Parts: sequence; C-alpha cells; structure tokens
Amino acid sequence: MPRTDPTDNGGLFVGRRPGTAPVKYRALPHRGTVRRRRVDRWLAALILVAMVVVCLLFFGPIPVAWLWIASRVQYWLGTVSVAIFVAFLGMLMTLLLGLRVLRRLDLTWILVRRAAGVDQREGAMTRVFAYTAALAAIIFSAWLILFAGLGPTLAPGQ
Amino acid sequence: MGFLDYYKQFEGMPEEEVNAILREQAAERRRKALAVVEPIDLSATTWPEYPHPTVVNAITFTARRGLHRYLDRSGGELRSELAHRHDVPEDRVVVGDGAAQLLSSAAYALMDQALDELVTPWPSYGLYPVMAHRARAHAVPVAGYGVDAVLSAINEHTRIVALCSPNDPTGELVPAPDLRRLLEALPERVVVLLDEALVDFADAQPIDAALGLLDEFPRLICFRSFSKAWGLAGLRVGYALGGPGSEPMLEALAPELGVNELAQAGALEALRSTDRLVQRRVERVHGERARLVDELRSRERLTVTPSQANFVWVAAEGIPGADLARRLDRASVRVASGSALGDPARIRVAVHSTAATDRFLRALDGALA
Repeated sequence: MPRTDPTDNGGLFVGRRPGTAPVKYRALPHRGTVRRRRVDRWLAALILVAMVVVCLLFFGPIPVAWLWIASRVQYWLGTVSVAIFVAFLGMLMTLLLGLRVLRRLDLTWILVRRAAGVDQREGAMTRVFAYTAALAAIIFSAWLILFAGLGPTLAPGQ
Repeated sequence: MGFLDYYKQFEGMPEEEVNAILREQAAERRRKALAVVEPIDLSATTWPEYPHPTVVNAITFTARRGLHRYLDRSGGELRSELAHRHDVPEDRVVVGDGAAQLLSSAAYALMDQALDELVTPWPSYGLYPVMAHRARAHAVPVAGYGVDAVLSAINEHTRIVALCSPNDPTGELVPAPDLRRLLEALPERVVVLLDEALVDFADAQPIDAALGLLDEFPRLICFRSFSKAWGLAGLRVGYALGGPGSEPMLEALAPELGVNELAQAGALEALRSTDRLVQRRVERVHGERARLVDELRSRERLTVTPSQANFVWVAAEGIPGADLARRLDRASVRVASGSALGDPARIRVAVHSTAATDRFLRALDGALA
C-alpha cells in the first residue's frame, strides 16, 4: 500500500520522507493463490524463528563451543596464549559467518513476506539481534545472580 | 515458474538502479520539452500580453467592494476621464460594451428603411455588413480603400459610411485631409462612422487627428476601443466621440443599462495607470512593423500593404492565402487567412515582438521554399 498518510510523511501531503519510497519491481510480480500466500506467511514465520535461533547461538552455544575447542588446544599444545588466540579468532570468524547466514535469512524473509502479500520494505535482522541480545543478557544475569553467584569461584567464601 | 523464481520476482530494484531510471526519465522529459515548439498565434489583432496587475487589482477591488447594488449607468467617471483625455465635453462621449456594440447601435439607430445603405470599403471589418443586415438595411462594399472609391458609391439611399481607420485587415489609414474631403463631399443625410479601434498603433499622423474634425463635422462619429492597444479585449469596453449636436445620438448608442461596473473599473484604471505602458507597447509595434515590412519587401513574390495597425496584410504570388496560412501553421505559426477577411489571396500577420517576427520570417521562408 502506498504511504500517503501525512502522519507518515512528516506532516506533509507532498513528497515523502527519505527511505520510504515504495518498492520498485522490475516487472509486476505474479502473486500466488490465497492458499499459497497463507503458506508463505507460515514460511516467513519459520524463517524468523530460524533467525532467532541463529542469533541466540551468538550469545551462548558458539562462545561455549569455542571455549571448549580452546581448552582442547591448550591440552594438546600446552600453551594458553595459542588457545586464547584460537578461541577469539574462531569466535570472530563464526560470528561473521553467522551474520552472513542471518543476512541471507533476512533477505529471504523479506521476499517470502512480500509473496505473502505484505508490503515488506525492511528486514527484521536488526530487531531480532537486539531482542535476542537483550534476552541473552537477562538469562545470563539471572544465571549469574541466581545460580552461579557473584562471589569468586577460585576462592569461594571470601 | 520455478519455486525460487517465484520468490525472486519479489526482489525490489536497488536504489541506484531506480535513481538511474528516474534520471533517464527526467532527461527524456527534458529532451521532449525542449523539442516541443509552442505554437505562436499571430492571427488575432488583440494584444497578446496579460493586462497590467493594477488593472486587475482595480477590477478585483471593485468586485469586492460590492456588486450588490446598481452601478453608474452612464459610466460618469470613465466618461469624464475620456473627455479630459480627448479634450471634448463629457456629454459628447459615450461608453459602450466595446466599439462593436456602439457601431451596431449606431447602424440600428440611423438606418430605419429597407432601402437604406451602409457603404464601406472592402475588405474591411466583417461586422459592418452584419450590422447593416441586422438593421434591415443593405451593406454596399466598395472594392479598395480610399475616399474616392467611397464617394463613387454614394447615392440617395446611403445613410452611413463605415470607415475602419486603420483598416482591419489591410492596415491602411485614412489621412485627416482625405477624411475632411470625404465629409465635405458627403450629402447632409450621410453619417460617417469612423472606427478607430486600431488608431493607437498609427504613426503616420497624430492619434487624435480625426477628432479635430468633430467640431467642424457633426455627422462624424469616432469609435475607439480598449480591446487592441490597451490589451483589455475581455472587458468589452469601447467609446464613441461626436461633434456638437451629436449628444442625443450618442445617448441613443449607450447600452440601456450601462456598461459592466467591473469593465468600467478596469478601463478607468488603465487610463490612469498604464498610459506609459501602452505608449511603450505602441512604440514597440512601430519598430517591429517597420522591420517586418522591410523584411517582407526584400523577399521576392511578396506584396505588402503599408500598414498603420498592429498587423500586416501580405500576399504571396502564386500561393493562395489559405494555403500559405496552412503551410505556416505546420511550422506552428498561426496567421489569419484572408479567405475570411475579404481577400483570399492574402494573410494577416499580427506584429508582436522581435522574437515573434523572427520566428514568422523563418517559417515564411520555409513555406515559400
């Protein structure tokens, strides 16, 4: 739907705010049947869930996995420096790879949403990342305060 | 369509690509706009420019002041201004809905018998035969433009001599001495209606030269208009001036319920504020007209009548006027074909500006080639 509401255009009836131009297609898309669009809505929701999962991987499983790998490296090589280097490099590379996957999922999600009949102009990646980061922070805080405790682990009770 | 292709068709074009297309479309529009040649209309004898804002403001002010009451039917203020301008008593000026209405009223008032005749040189303003017929009389067109030709057509039935000076469409002017000769030679019953709607553009003699004869010849009535040099054709205001003793006759010419108040306001403001503007306009026409006539005379196959109006009357050897007008029209220059004006061999070309003259000459060279 074209955005012509003045409240959506900075209070002006003429022109539009930068970045709010309607999507221009090379050719008018052939939309699917109502059933297909319903399926596309579910598919878009699934992709969104996949994005949430990928994002959540950044804040727990991936760092834990690389810490485990680093511990193995330390065990094999007997040096902490190399293990720390491997852990950081691995985490960084995995993070970048994850972001690429996330971006690809986001683009796919936009297309599927449009196929479902929604005037989808922007992706959800940023918001998903922000929400999952907030969720991870809450879970970590809860774990830290309620389960792990704030005291030192090397010398408990001091 | 494949599964992936179905979703790929929903990919929007990147901003750079959209902007490139928009730039291309804008360039195309610009190219087309520059390629379009706006037609230029040189077929009308009215002034092509908009009225001066002060005139429009005066009309607007009058409209806002209130149109709910009856107006000044005699147009007292405008008549007074005109009388002062032409140095005649106020009761010898009458204001009407354009010179054409006053001329028609004069014909209707003067010709009361079926055998009455209106003599006019021909070709001339197309209204004269029409107003004679409306008055249930006869129009007698006389070929050529001159006092002798008119005098040769006078007989016992002649009641009116209608003279357009400068003549539309030929642009010829009756010099004041010739007019005097005509008035002296005419029988007592014949009234001369001198249509001077275009006289502001004349430079061969003073504009008010004919008015100098009013005191001497009460059978002369001069008609002027705000439609030509004053550029207020839409207002439909004209006026007539007569000699001593013409007051009852002039009174009979006035519209029964007076001239539109807005038209009066516009004409009055034009007289008071735009005199110099009209003067500059007229000087421009003088210069352009002389240049146009010189240019036309320098071309073979063309015949140009000496003009004292804001147009020239041109004939091209071997090309009928309608044909020449069509050829010019193809070059987006509109002129009046002589077919409807009394001489099918000619065209009437209005004088506007240097640019308009240049464009007409270019189109004419193309049409004659």
